[in-house]
Amino acid sequence: MEDVIKGFSLILEFKNILLIFGGVLIGVLVGALPGLSSPMAIALLMPFTISLDPVASISMMAALYCAGTFGGSITAILINAPGAPPAVATALDGYQMAKNGEPGRALGLAAISSVIGGIIAIFIFLAATPILAEIALKFGPVEYFGLTLFALSMLAAMSGKSSIRNLIAGVMGVLVSTIGVHLATGVERFDFGVDELTEGIKFVPVLIGLFAMSELLNQSRTLNAAVERMNARALRLPTIAELKALKGTILRSSGLGTFIGILPAEGSTVAAMMGYNEAKRWSKTPEKFGTGHAEGIVGPEAANNAAAGGAMVPTLALGIPGSGTTALILAALVMHGFRPGPYLITETPHLVHAIFGAMLFANIGFLGIGLVGARFFSYVTFVPKRFLWPSVFVFSLIGSYAYSSAFFDVWVMLISGIIGYFALRNGFSPAPFVMGLILGKMVEETFTQSMVIYENNFMNFFDSGVFIFFFILTFVSLSTPFWGQIRNKFSSVKS
Amino acid sequence: MSNESNFASENSDAKFFHRKDLYLALVLVAFGAFVYYEAGKFPPAPLVLGDTINADVFPKILVVILLFLTAIIPFEFKLTPQKVAKIDKERDQKTLPITWITIFLLLTIVFLTDFLGAVLTMFVTCLMLPLVWGEKNYVAVAIYALLFPGFVWFLFNQLLGLYFAPGILEVFLK
Repeated sequence: MEDVIKGFSLILEFKNILLIFGGVLIGVLVGALPGLSSPMAIALLMPFTISLDPVASISMMAALYCAGTFGGSITAILINAPGAPPAVATALDGYQMAKNGEPGRALGLAAISSVIGGIIAIFIFLAATPILAEIALKFGPVEYFGLTLFALSMLAAMSGKSSIRNLIAGVMGVLVSTIGVHLATGVERFDFGVDELTEGIKFVPVLIGLFAMSELLNQSRTLNAAVERMNARALRLPTIAELKALKGTILRSSGLGTFIGILPAEGSTVAAMMGYNEAKRWSKTPEKFGTGHAEGIVGPEAANNAAAGGAMVPTLALGIPGSGTTALILAALVMHGFRPGPYLITETPHLVHAIFGAMLFANIGFLGIGLVGARFFSYVTFVPKRFLWPSVFVFSLIGSYAYSSAFFDVWVMLISGIIGYFALRNGFSPAPFVMGLILGKMVEETFTQSMVIYENNFMNFFDSGVFIFFFILTFVSLSTPFWGQIRNKFSSVKS
Repeated sequence: MSNESNFASENSDAKFFHRKDLYLALVLVAFGAFVYYEAGKFPPAPLVLGDTINADVFPKILVVILLFLTAIIPFEFKLTPQKVAKIDKERDQKTLPITWITIFLLLTIVFLTDFLGAVLTMFVTCLMLPLVWGEKNYVAVAIYALLFPGFVWFLFNQLLGLYFAPGILEVFLK
């Protein structure tokens, strides 16, 4: 209880409230602007937070993450262009409702279901994180290696175009993490005589390049794209009777979203799609879905915001990112000198509670912002791309340089962005790469330690029951994306 | 159709591999081979470290996994045809000249950053990028190119104390 109070008192300082509110504002803004996303905003923000109080910085990013998930629904509803991938499902009914002349109601339903989903997930996060951390404290290197293997295997099912390409991107990320001095032997690896590479590739410039620069190049292809937009005067909250009718959908989606969020690598996008499908499956009027049905908005919105809270559980308790965005928060934790994983909650419990408080604040904050600023946020879509993206480039330049005052990092940022752009065109998403990059060191470290403990014999790893458990899970998660295809092939051959 | 043309043959029965994915796989194989070769040059761990595994072991394992996954890529369209069709739809659109020009411009700007310094680099970016992207409102571009870098400089340099390399402006500042 003392830690909870300490965590809350940290974020209740005026400066920190301002930072968290800034995070909420930036989150809604980047969520609302198509092309900009919360991972991109966190990547851009990260270097500027070095000089700030670490707890406040991380809380700000957590608030941005929550608000960004909601922000995406604004453009999904008003212009049928989801500001962020998790809002894709919201657009299906949200835009239709807006077209039917009720944009304010659609926004209100999205906001209130997001808040409820978010708050439920945050309380589950608060309860589950210490339990999971306590279990993880009993893990040795081999168990942790099994866990990281499982987390990486989950990339196969991560939202993206192809499971194989996700896995390749993940392996590439791990491979890039091996650049620099090998801690066990002191051997310099893949530095090609470049001094800056002996310390390894820094996360921040790569993250900025992959999320911001590749998107900038992507946007250069659609400079003249016109959008049809709905004008929302204000957000209209649903009535009590309406909420009562929707409570089953909201609660179910919140639970589902939190669970999906907790699974390593599964993020808000998967949760939103499943939230939408489940809402339709349980609905008494499934035929109304796609025509501007309220359940089609609250289902995905409650799920995607709940997933944001859920994704924080493995990130903080195990040091395994629950989604692409939490992978960035994990990188920020490392940057600020924290030890993500079970020790985080034992060594710095106030940080976990501060994050909890910040996310709670963010959920209430974006409802307030939505209530008073829905009209403004519908205007941000008017910002011309020709001015928006040069500004993003300027922030990318400053951000990658500010991290360690080295021009080399600016080159890393730009080259990562160019590679990321062409990789994206060939079906490789940046999120699995980032997860691999961030988990890479942990995978190698635990693998090396396990090999030493088990006398350089991989088969001895199976002496550990926990490792066997994670190994089976890894196998299941790797094969799951293909089972559906194989089953379809079989049924088509039979027929 | 563009999708069809990516396959080895126009005859649907004879489609065995996906042409673009085969090229992609070859690039990945070449990359993997290079990494494997480079890893082979790492010195072994000193004997004093006992059973510690060598620095090359982990990267080599990763390369093997990478090559295994890469081997599936040219045939992925048989496993997940819809997903590959979606990817094809995107990559069949040629990279527009404006994207190449943008890449060239960004590389030039970053190349000149050391010489120009932070403020001038921001100014050049805010001036050139909108113009290259076809902005016709020159007054707006000029205002933006002056005000936005000024705002960023004030916020980060003056308020947050971030060091902005002066570059060529150092001559004038002296």
